Amino acid sequence: MQHLLDIKNLSVDFHTLQGRMKALRNVSFGMKKGRILGIVGESGSGKSTVLWSIMGLLAPNAKVIGGSILFQDQDLLTLSEQARRQLRGEAISVVFQDPMTSQAPLLSYGRQMADILYRRREMSRCEKRGAAAEMLGKVGIPDPAFRLDQYPHEFSGGMRQRAGIAMALLTGPNLLLADEPTTALDVTMEAQIIHLLRDLQAETEATVAVVSHNLGLIAELCDDVVVMYAGEVVETGAVRQIFHAPRHPYTQALLECDPARIVERPARLPIIAGELPDLTSPPAGCIFADRCPYTLPLCRTEKPPVVVGTDGGLARCHIQSGAVAARVPGAVMPAASGPLARAANEAPLLETRDLNIRFPTEGMLLAKLQGRQPKGLDAVLDVSLTLHPGETLGVVGESGSGKSTLGRAILNLVSVTTGKVLFEGNEVQSLPEHKFKPLRRNMAMMFQDPNGSLSPRKTVRALITEPLQIHGIKERDLDREAERLADMVRLPRPLLARFPNQLSGGQARRVGVARALALSPRLVIADEPTAGLDVSVQGEILNLMADLQAEHGLAYLIITHNLPVIRHISDRIAIMYLGRIVEQGPAEEIFRHQHHPYTASLVQGVPQPDPDRKRAHRGLKGEVPSLLERPRGCDFVSRCPNARPLCHEAKPPHRGVGPHRVIACHFPLA
Amino acid sequence: MSGYILKRLALAAAVILTVLVILFSLLRLVPGNPVTIALGPQATPAAIAHYSAKMNLDQPVWVQFATYARNVVTGDLGEDIFTGRKVAIIVGEQIGYSLMLMVAAMGWAIVLGIPLGCLAAVRPNTWLDRITGVLSVGTIAIPSFLMAIWALLILSVQLRWLPAMGAGEAGDYGDQALHLILPAFAVGLGWVGYLARMVRASMLEVLGEPFIRSARAFGLTPQRVIFSYALPVAILPTITLIGMGFGGLISSAVFAEVIFARPGVGKLIYDSVQARNFPIVQGAVVVTTALYILVVLLSDLLVSWIDPRVRRVL
Ligand SMILES: Nc1ncnc2c1ncn2[C@@H]1O[C@H](COP(=O)(O)OP(=O)(O)O)[C@@H](O)[C@H]1O
Ligand code: SF4
Ligand code: SF4
Ligand SMILES: [Mg+2]
Repeated sequence: MQHLLDIKNLSVDFHTLQGRMKALRNVSFGMKKGRILGIVGESGSGKSTVLWSIMGLLAPNAKVIGGSILFQDQDLLTLSEQARRQLRGEAISVVFQDPMTSQAPLLSYGRQMADILYRRREMSRCEKRGAAAEMLGKVGIPDPAFRLDQYPHEFSGGMRQRAGIAMALLTGPNLLLADEPTTALDVTMEAQIIHLLRDLQAETEATVAVVSHNLGLIAELCDDVVVMYAGEVVETGAVRQIFHAPRHPYTQALLECDPARIVERPARLPIIAGELPDLTSPPAGCIFADRCPYTLPLCRTEKPPVVVGTDGGLARCHIQSGAVAARVPGAVMPAASGPLARAANEAPLLETRDLNIRFPTEGMLLAKLQGRQPKGLDAVLDVSLTLHPGETLGVVGESGSGKSTLGRAILNLVSVTTGKVLFEGNEVQSLPEHKFKPLRRNMAMMFQDPNGSLSPRKTVRALITEPLQIHGIKERDLDREAERLADMVRLPRPLLARFPNQLSGGQARRVGVARALALSPRLVIADEPTAGLDVSVQGEILNLMADLQAEHGLAYLIITHNLPVIRHISDRIAIMYLGRIVEQGPAEEIFRHQHHPYTASLVQGVPQPDPDRKRAHRGLKGEVPSLLERPRGCDFVSRCPNARPLCHEAKPPHRGVGPHRVIACHFPLA
Repeated sequence: MSGYILKRLALAAAVILTVLVILFSLLRLVPGNPVTIALGPQATPAAIAHYSAKMNLDQPVWVQFATYARNVVTGDLGEDIFTGRKVAIIVGEQIGYSLMLMVAAMGWAIVLGIPLGCLAAVRPNTWLDRITGVLSVGTIAIPSFLMAIWALLILSVQLRWLPAMGAGEAGDYGDQALHLILPAFAVGLGWVGYLARMVRASMLEVLGEPFIRSARAFGLTPQRVIFSYALPVAILPTITLIGMGFGGLISSAVFAEVIFARPGVGKLIYDSVQARNFPIVQGAVVVTTALYILVVLLSDLLVSWIDPRVRRVL
């Protein structure tokens, strides 16, 4: 098949303070015309660098050392800047990762899209507007002519990404590049965007390259796959070949780590031990040798040859050339540290009863003057939960479902409007801070974004002992404490002297865990504990959390939108929608069978890392409504496929189904 | 949007009220007869009598304040204690000169400083960037009154290129413009450096934003990317800064007007303080405060006109 784009031996260096970073080394692959190519690999493997090399928009400290990028029979790397600019946005276009930050905030969509068409001199302003509106309509934005005059901040996240796709396709490019197009989106939005990209590709016959670390997305969307590791292409092949018969140990390990593939709940999640090699001096032999389970001496001294498979795919590994034998599991399955302590019949550690949190959206004064309640939004509505010592409760929901607010309210960081929070049987909601402070030793928060929540000027040692200092633990203990905590979260002691920006994502996360555990709490509230982590590292953090739970009898309240993760670590889960729990029960049961239509669409909407199990259904339509416009009747009625007239009238009450399940639906799924 | 303007006007009114309260209470907090304090030792007995009647000292304090506030709002700022002329008229005659000076000073600073900052940001670490950097820091560090004295000594006294004193012949615009050059140069110079630094910093930050990379990825020309995509975002904090800096501008105008013996509110305040002509000082302070509030309001409106995100929140 003809290639639209051919990358040959592309090498790119970055000049950094640590020296020349050889970010790409002899990268070669082709893109077949009219197909979707997926590029996968852990973060830092150079996927984005490849895309930006194609665009010719690498960072100023980057230098292309060698190679060629053939596009429509010309080498992009030899073209003038002028000529490359002619291709950008016309022949080659991009969909960006985060639509919030990648669209101009001060210009309306109409203006931004007209700007993209600036080369079409023959089009009048009116025609450009028409073309833009048509494209917005095509990507599923309702009322496009009106929406054209709106600005990015007036669009929801999903709509923004749709508009981003519309902008990229406006000129009818032959080649479309998408860098992590759904990473910033919720699960149900992600499914919609995947389908949209697929449909538009089929319609326009454009050639598409999608970069993602989400294997499910790649399996669902792509025809061909390129696997990158530490700046090299380690394997290429058709999507079925890669997912069903991966040949490179790295590909195998990556697939084994994906929690979405693991059906049974294992005691331990598989991981790829170790870290990316230092790219300022990449190893002489195989780039993966440090983390590969088959490594032989040959692998460390000699670069593995490229071996072409029967299907035309390539793999760079000595096993393929027959120099190394054996085939054992790729990812390490770490041994479990004894049986996990699970919910006993003890008294609950934490309980919330009919918790409601209302944020006013207008001043008290105006409402008082008009003699009515001030307007507001209910971020948390009638939430009743129980959590026993040693148990893990997962709270799942899309953004805006109130899950983080719930966590903050339990920690007394948000005041409760009505209802109760009971900790060890005592009411603790809305206490003044001086009364709550002693309780903080027993409840800890693990934050969503460790780098944002770690002060950049403090060393790791200072950071992990900070909670001790806040609670007045004596100076002399601190060094020993720091080492104890570092050992506990398996953070190498030399790292104690480092600053947060010198840590990898997984290490920073472990610092977050250490901080949370510094005071030996009994309850840990973890807000998106693995968001933004690669699957290979995610398992490490989750395993660590499980070990610490078994050892110390911790109770976890885990807040996340990541279903595969929650499935593997939770005893029970609660699904929230618009601040209300719609279904609650044992994790295993809920994943086996869902009663609430929302739960069902979430569980079935997880993209499967298996190209033969592409989802038949299209996921949920529409988007989570704003909390300001809570639908009448059932909260889910605007998106529910089973809604009936009653659902528009009455809010379904919480009721028990069987001994452990609670749902809120008038017409539960059988 | 109209709600926003209403809110801002209410806020402006509150600020002016506060200033009035302060001016009002200053006179009454000092021990002694407020009239003699207000008018100072050189007041004529006639003025004292007139003033005592006007301040209704026999009434309760709040009535006194209400009268005072009503007078100010209706434009009655009191009378000159020597000549008996209306303060409002005196200030009105002078304010034009000061406004001209401030607009000219800020104007040339904007016209030069913002493009310099942009250029420096677009070509960081080139000779142009470095020279701009050194000059900016230099001009920011030098106080504007020193600048004024040097400019006067060199350009006017030594080289005799420009007139040194006054505002020029009334009605002769060319002459007036010529007289404006030195003081506007002295007052605006610090702002050139300041604006250049400010614009350079925010421009550099904005140029690193993902949406700039997107604009380039859509093949837009570098000029379009800089002027339509980056500059409007980068300029927002600078506009607010200019609005707020107007207060400082009033005080540098005082120096410039005194040194160049130019008419203007600054000179007026200076002379009145020297002569202890308090009604004029008070009146001038009220007017300049109102002016300052107006400028801040205008700059905020400009920001919300450029930035739809601000428009929505309001
Ligand atoms: N501007 C830059 N300066 C220095 N290093 C960079 C720069 N951009 C990327 N890198 C490094 O290059 C490597 C590849 O990065 P990237 O292409 O972003 O990987 P991916 O997209 O696969 O996560 C990483 O180690 C990253 O830290
Ligand atoms: S070449 Fe050796 S180290 Fe590299 S992936 Fe193959 S077996 Fe592992
Ligand atoms: S109550 Fe009705 S609308 Fe709500 S989830 Fe159940 S079936 Fe759907
Ligand atoms: Mg990337």
